[in-house]
Amino acid sequence: MLSNRQRFWFLVLPGAGFLVVFLVLPLVSIVVFSFWRTESYTMIREWNIANYTVLFTDWTYIKFLLRSLGMASIVSLVALIYAWPVALFIARHGGRFKLIFLLLTSAPFLTGEILRVTALQQILGPIGVINMALGNFGFEPIEALMYTSTATAIGLTYLWIPFMVLAIYLSLLNFDFELLEVAKVNGARPLRAFWEITWPLNRAGSAIGVVLVFIPTLASTITSQFLGGPDGALYGNILAHQFGATGTWAFGSAMGVVLFAISLIVLYIVWKSVGDLRRSGVTIKGAGEL
Amino acid sequence: MRRQLSIAMQAALLGALYVFLYGPIVYIAYVSFQANSVWPFPPETTFDHYASLWQERDFHAGLANSLLIAGGTGALSSLFATMAAMAVLKYRVAGRGLVAALFLAPLFIAHVLIGISSLMFNKAILGLPGNILSAILANSTYATAFAFLVVIAQLARYDWRLDDAAMVFGATPGRAFREVTLPLIWPAILGAFIVSFLLSFNNLEISFYNLGAVPTLPTLAWGSLRHGISEELYALAALINLAVFVLLALLYGLLRSGLLKLDYKD
Repeated sequence: MLSNRQRFWFLVLPGAGFLVVFLVLPLVSIVVFSFWRTESYTMIREWNIANYTVLFTDWTYIKFLLRSLGMASIVSLVALIYAWPVALFIARHGGRFKLIFLLLTSAPFLTGEILRVTALQQILGPIGVINMALGNFGFEPIEALMYTSTATAIGLTYLWIPFMVLAIYLSLLNFDFELLEVAKVNGARPLRAFWEITWPLNRAGSAIGVVLVFIPTLASTITSQFLGGPDGALYGNILAHQFGATGTWAFGSAMGVVLFAISLIVLYIVWKSVGDLRRSGVTIKGAGEL
Repeated sequence: MRRQLSIAMQAALLGALYVFLYGPIVYIAYVSFQANSVWPFPPETTFDHYASLWQERDFHAGLANSLLIAGGTGALSSLFATMAAMAVLKYRVAGRGLVAALFLAPLFIAHVLIGISSLMFNKAILGLPGNILSAILANSTYATAFAFLVVIAQLARYDWRLDDAAMVFGATPGRAFREVTLPLIWPAILGAFIVSFLLSFNNLEISFYNLGAVPTLPTLAWGSLRHGISEELYALAALINLAVFVLLALLYGLLRSGLLKLDYKD
């Protein structure tokens, strides 16, 4: 007879081994490659830190990184503020439609980034339906929607807000709304009850949501490429460029490592700010209520 | 009164979110049937975009490749995820937190990083060319994480004592799984399969770096967007979106039935 311990590892090892070989090792390998150099599309093993020197001293790259960081911060914040009342409504007043309400917010995510951006282009942009309608009715078009960073921000919010709603909702599933009644009986106004009870007890949901929106937004390539216009390029676009036209893989690796390092730092900061995850709401059991 | 108002406002925000999320999807489906795609009012219905999509040779190759990638990724991811989720939920041994963290880690890694790192690792270290198989393997990383979430969420309320009971009556672990566990948890596994299937079917960034010039439906859409939209793209988008929502409706039905079956624990 196998022990529980053996059974556990028997079930876990295939997937864990797979993830180590096809996810962890490739990520480790780009750290190695980032210290090599590239010559006419081939990577050459000559250890150097030139890639990082360029990355941290050339203002071009710093500028794109800062732009992406700003974009990711704004999009995460907007998504957080918008997702909260929505998730609250579904969790508290969704009744027997909870699951369908939630799935309807997540469903568009599964249609894929490229098709979602295609659809958005028909709405925003110079010949998008909004500006065409304004033009046809004799109004000035909205410049901000035509290939600008605002359009990119709208697009990224469109893409990733489902994650925010989902994360906050999962946290709220474990939240005892009776606490709010108690607060009310004791004279707290709804807003104060929210800030002193609902928000702090569900900060893990907010934190996970922020990370899940921040990371893909920081690495965004497609959205900025098609909605941001010629001046709207973000860090991800420059990164992707190293693997396209220029073929400078080693430098691209260094850019990837920086992106990954920032993701980890954000994850760490957010994690630390939450404190004990279990005490603040998210558990596997909560997910079971789905 | 003020409370009613606040609830109404929350509901309105949810409604506005649906309009925001579904407006573009519905609009592109509408445009796919319109002769004039720039300003399709008043409507002038045509099926031309669908006809020319069908005549596009690349479309058939792209569809076949996308289905292969999605089928392979769906199978691999749901298998890994189901096994790991069962282990994590059933056996309270040391290391389960770490295992759960490993299986959820891909959710926190940007797709472009998975794409470029698998491209370079395969080429420089393993010496593998980019092909459908390497695209399946790279897509299965984050798809496993999503599949894991789906299975965990569904099985959190499953009573594992049912399996133990079967084994007490002499069933082997394999037989207990086939005859007790599997009939009860298959909606969760199929749900994991559908989610990972759809994610990899529609994935651009990871497939692109692993496939190069081999067409998939997302890379065709990407090419069309880059070179000025051809109108077949509207038809393609409308068809894929429709297929996604049909599959999700199926998944919803399964989740419902799956929950009902697992419910008798209480």
